[in-house]
Amino acid sequence: MNKTKLSAAARREENWGWFMVAPTIIGLVVLNLWPFVQTLYASFCEHLGFGHYKFIGLKNYVDMFGNTEFWKATWNTVYFCILTVPVGIVLALFVAMLLNAKVKFKGGFRTIFFLPLVCAPAAVAMVWRWIFNGEYGILNQMLGQKIQWITDPKTAVLAVAIVSVWSSVGYDAVLLLAGLQNIPKTLYEANSIDGAGKIRQFFTITLPMVSPTMFSVLIMRLMASMKIYDLIYMMADETNPALTDMQSLMYLFYRSSFVSGSRGYGSAIVIWTVGLILLVTLVQFMGQKKWVTYDI
Amino acid sequence: MRKLPRMIAAALALALLLSVTGCGGSADGKTHLSFQIWDVFQRDGMQAMCDAYTAQHPDVVIDVQVTSWSEYWTKLEAAAESNTMPDIYWMHTDQILYYADFGILADLTDLYADEDPNYYANHFSDVSIANASGSDGRIYGVPKDKDNVVLVYNKEMFDAAGVAYPDDTWTWDDMMDASQKVYDATGKYGYLAYNDEQLGYWNFVYQNGGYILDENNVYAGYTNPATADAIKFYVGIQQNEWCPDQTYFTETSPGTAFFSEVGCMFLEGSWNLLAEMQNYPEMVGKWDIAPLPKCPNPASGDGRGTISNGLCYSTAAKGKQLEQVKDVLRFFGSEEGQRIQGESGAAIPAYLGLEETWSTAYESFDYMLDVGVCYDQFDYAVKYINNPSRRKWKPLVADEMVKIYKGEDIDSTLARMQEIADSYVTTE
Repeated sequence: MNKTKLSAAARREENWGWFMVAPTIIGLVVLNLWPFVQTLYASFCEHLGFGHYKFIGLKNYVDMFGNTEFWKATWNTVYFCILTVPVGIVLALFVAMLLNAKVKFKGGFRTIFFLPLVCAPAAVAMVWRWIFNGEYGILNQMLGQKIQWITDPKTAVLAVAIVSVWSSVGYDAVLLLAGLQNIPKTLYEANSIDGAGKIRQFFTITLPMVSPTMFSVLIMRLMASMKIYDLIYMMADETNPALTDMQSLMYLFYRSSFVSGSRGYGSAIVIWTVGLILLVTLVQFMGQKKWVTYDI
Repeated sequence: MRKLPRMIAAALALALLLSVTGCGGSADGKTHLSFQIWDVFQRDGMQAMCDAYTAQHPDVVIDVQVTSWSEYWTKLEAAAESNTMPDIYWMHTDQILYYADFGILADLTDLYADEDPNYYANHFSDVSIANASGSDGRIYGVPKDKDNVVLVYNKEMFDAAGVAYPDDTWTWDDMMDASQKVYDATGKYGYLAYNDEQLGYWNFVYQNGGYILDENNVYAGYTNPATADAIKFYVGIQQNEWCPDQTYFTETSPGTAFFSEVGCMFLEGSWNLLAEMQNYPEMVGKWDIAPLPKCPNPASGDGRGTISNGLCYSTAAKGKQLEQVKDVLRFFGSEEGQRIQGESGAAIPAYLGLEETWSTAYESFDYMLDVGVCYDQFDYAVKYINNPSRRKWKPLVADEMVKIYKGEDIDSTLARMQEIADSYVTTE
């Protein structure tokens, strides 16, 4: 954009522009930015009760970094991301390519894959909880096993990860599908005239062309996975023996802030999580130059 | 042209403002009071009580609102911060000290001063009054009800195993024997002992003469030998083939197991019984209740004990209609108000002498539950465990309990629980 003097009409237009985005900006400041500032402040405070805070400096952070439960939750969160993000994206791309192919009832399949997103997460979690039930669950019936999916520390995170991937794959696939459909058909035609096979086409055309969409999906999925809370809340219980092996940072935050009432400590956990997400996103933006193709 | 956006914005703001202030006044000139509760099964009883009041005071309207237990406290705390609390609300023993000690609740000690200076002491038990008091000993809620924990058992399974039904002579040993016999005869689980405080190990601890908090509610008693023995016994029940382990109970609550007829006995709070009669009509007549089995060889005491809690009705100290609300509360705590609550089956009235009005609600079923058990057990009821810092250490201690069930050494874990609870004791 060039910095030139604006005419009266252009300035008027600019004012209108501001006016039109004002609701969003005001919403962002009031609902996102201001609470963030408050959370940041609260993380240096002890919550005395009913919204009264006492400044205690870095004590919450010192306590937090010295707490094994906190590090366990951090690891659980990272582990959860490792389990869900790569598998989720590969699956989503696979589904998107299937939906992009010439198959019958394409519209029907697209709807089916998108359906989990329309369901309330709480309902999804409850249904899966029954599927995973060690005694009566349909999964164990089918496998002929007696695996305690949700209460065994070894499988608890895996169980939550499966539900998470299941409910997000449709949405990601729809986004990737849009990306796939933007690839000009002529590229494939030219490529096959040159004698390239399907697999080669996938790596030389499809993947590079869809990489910008994949990048957005990756960033969103990673953020969502780092903030995982609702599934764990619904699938685990306070008395679940595997709770410490599956609780994420956000779940730990919930327990600190709302169960124990230590909102200052809970805020510190939130700030730590925000920092982690920021770091991961930053690394991704730096890394994207290596693999994301914006033009050919 | 340039003024247009500003005019639109101003108009919108004005409209918004008007709609906000519009909520304040009431069109019919009556006093509107809101009444917040968490148990949907008690809504009709609460409504009946309010109707009785408004029949005498036609200028008052009381709106009973139900919020689920899981959201109730988050919502109430937020309302307290913004000074928009409901006019009347239920208060639970877990929370009353937090609210009362912070000055949120109106002091109701002198609510009945004109009528009878000793009204509370004359009409409510010490346990009820203690459950409605703040740390300063003042009363911050009108006692609503009282409850205790009973043994629920499946009659058909006892018949099948040829074991006599539990009665007040039963000890822990009888319960263990019966569980084994039922398991041998029917293949069903016996006593369903799961990780729970109020409906679990607390009862056993007090029966054995141990304690969770000392008589001044200051120091914890997890490492007390009687407490530790009782907890070891209780946790150890899951070692029996007739009791599922904790992973089972994480997914299937004892109530679910019992009413789907895979288990024979479990501990239940008296407040849930009516809902269970209503929710499982096909089970009516197949089950009954008995006093909690006593400890056969307690470290001290007679081996009896059942945890007794009670709710109360509270109001905000900063309430805008405090005088009107106090008049309503006075009615809620009166004989008439408590009688209506009892007869509705909502809960056992806290008001002494009215306990048995609660039986009325059970008479409508084909099978009369032995509810007299609940009344008799008040003779040796133990006050619900609480102190001002418990809301902070409760979740931490519960985490340690989970570790015990996972197989960590009981003694060292109990020592940690002791340390956690005692770390909140202020030396002031």
